[in-house]
Amino acid sequence: MNNEAIVSFKNVCMYFGGVKAIDDISFDVDEGQVFGIIGPNGAGKTTIFNVLSGIYKPTSGDIYFHNRRINNLPPNYITGNGITRTFQNIRLFENQTVLDNLKIAHYSHIRYGIMDVIFTSNRFKKEEERIEEESLAILDFMNLTAYAEQKAGALPYGAQRRIEIARALSCKPEVLLLDEPAAGMNPVEIDELNQLILKIRNQFNLTVLVVEHQMRLVMEICNEILVTNFGRKLAIGKPNDIKNNPEVLEAYLGKVKSNE
Amino acid sequence: MITKRKNHLLGDVIPVIIIAAILIVLKEFKLISTSRLLILQYIGLYSIFVLGINMVNGYLGIFSLAHAGFMASGAYAAAISSKYFFKESWMFPLILLFGGLIAMLIGLIMSIPSFKAKGDYLAIITLGFSLIVQSFLQNWRFVGASKGINNVAKFTNIYWVYGCLLFAIIIVRKFINSKYGRSLKAIREDQVASELVSVDVKRAKTIAFAVSAFLIGISGALLVHLLGYTSPSAYGYTNIVDGLVMVYLGGMGSITGSIVGATLWQILIQTLKNLGTWRWVVGGGLLCVIMIFLTNGIFGNKELSDAIHAIRKYFSRSKTNKTISEETTK
Repeated sequence: MNNEAIVSFKNVCMYFGGVKAIDDISFDVDEGQVFGIIGPNGAGKTTIFNVLSGIYKPTSGDIYFHNRRINNLPPNYITGNGITRTFQNIRLFENQTVLDNLKIAHYSHIRYGIMDVIFTSNRFKKEEERIEEESLAILDFMNLTAYAEQKAGALPYGAQRRIEIARALSCKPEVLLLDEPAAGMNPVEIDELNQLILKIRNQFNLTVLVVEHQMRLVMEICNEILVTNFGRKLAIGKPNDIKNNPEVLEAYLGKVKSNE
Repeated sequence: MITKRKNHLLGDVIPVIIIAAILIVLKEFKLISTSRLLILQYIGLYSIFVLGINMVNGYLGIFSLAHAGFMASGAYAAAISSKYFFKESWMFPLILLFGGLIAMLIGLIMSIPSFKAKGDYLAIITLGFSLIVQSFLQNWRFVGASKGINNVAKFTNIYWVYGCLLFAIIIVRKFINSKYGRSLKAIREDQVASELVSVDVKRAKTIAFAVSAFLIGISGALLVHLLGYTSPSAYGYTNIVDGLVMVYLGGMGSITGSIVGATLWQILIQTLKNLGTWRWVVGGGLLCVIMIFLTNGIFGNKELSDAIHAIRKYFSRSKTNKTISEETTK
């Protein structure tokens, strides 16, 4: 196991009955990387995220975060301690304002208890002020200030995607998991998203894991790419190596016939 | 531009203070008949009850039917305490607190099934709980079995009722505007997503049930000391349905709604008393009509301050429209 890795998977398997969603996958992610996970539909990409964020407990194998085993920790604990994700199908709190969406995500690092709430202590007031300021700062950083007071569900798709990222950032993560952030975007928007992801990583000192289909995104910003197929690891390496890897091409494009 | 909208704590509390002042004048100068005064006390007491239900059914979005059980435990605990320990009238706050705390303890236990069970299944579990409490009280000799407890000191008066209501409103408001309240609303919308933005779902649910049961317990304690007696039959299906009706009529997830719901339903039931059994038909019919035209209840997820805000906005807009149309005609 690589001791410098911030996240490492060691022989992780996740079976649903007979279905092997992920099967014996191992990889290390170094700090500060943008790490891509690609693969055809049903390759187990999102399952990797679900296992990592604690929604599923892996059938076997271990997951380490800062060399600490996190297999059996509840999702809210994992999220509060540094691994936060977004969703493939946007899951905002649609009836809450954008600002409240972000405030909810501050939950784990708000330092006041029930007694502070009942007596409206100074700590309560200070903490509430702090998270309001922090939320507004994140909204400002993501160019979402105009939407702060609007209901999240009523906003355009692109804005909702960015709000989801802003909400994830509100948990103060060290590792950000982006599940198909470019779904339904055109090439221009994808280029903008690329810039945004790099900007976020630099600003917040994050390690970013991206599950994505869009090669335009993956090939451009990822330092390292993991390719999966039918739940198994197919290849891992730099974008250029992956591009020319015959096995990867086969999984994506089908077998090259010899008579052609 | 973000305009910081202050939480109008006073905006919701001031009406209660005004109402209380009116009540004092009415009572002390005997401008109101005793039966009307009783109705006013019912309104205040059931407002607390509905606020309690709203914590779980409204803000947390769990369809719970445990409120009859909570009310029964609060009422019985208070009645026993005032019969055996706190016999003096100045000890009434202790009695209320005791009733509330016992109900809260049971509420904490009742929050455990809500960690796993969902929807209809949880509704049935909570219904079962309410019925268990009722039949337990029906068979417990110490509390008079099905005859209930009689000759409880009548400590409750209109000031206690509205004092407690004020307290309940402040407590609920504080919780709703804290991280716990925000997490309740988040869980209502998407439990998995809220877990994945670090919300401690179990803790939030525990707190919601505890606060809910505490308030319902207090309302039960007030009821016993208002009537001077209690019996298990008061905490059955009628109580469960009454609670739900008031919550859904007033509106889920709203403090104003809780009070409006309790007020309207109590007034309706009491004014239709002359109709005998038919009042349930008339009342139920009216309820159907209201629910058809106001699906979210009267104040669903809104507060009085929101309504005032909206009205102001409406008037300022119509004013600007007028000036614009005047200018265009010129």
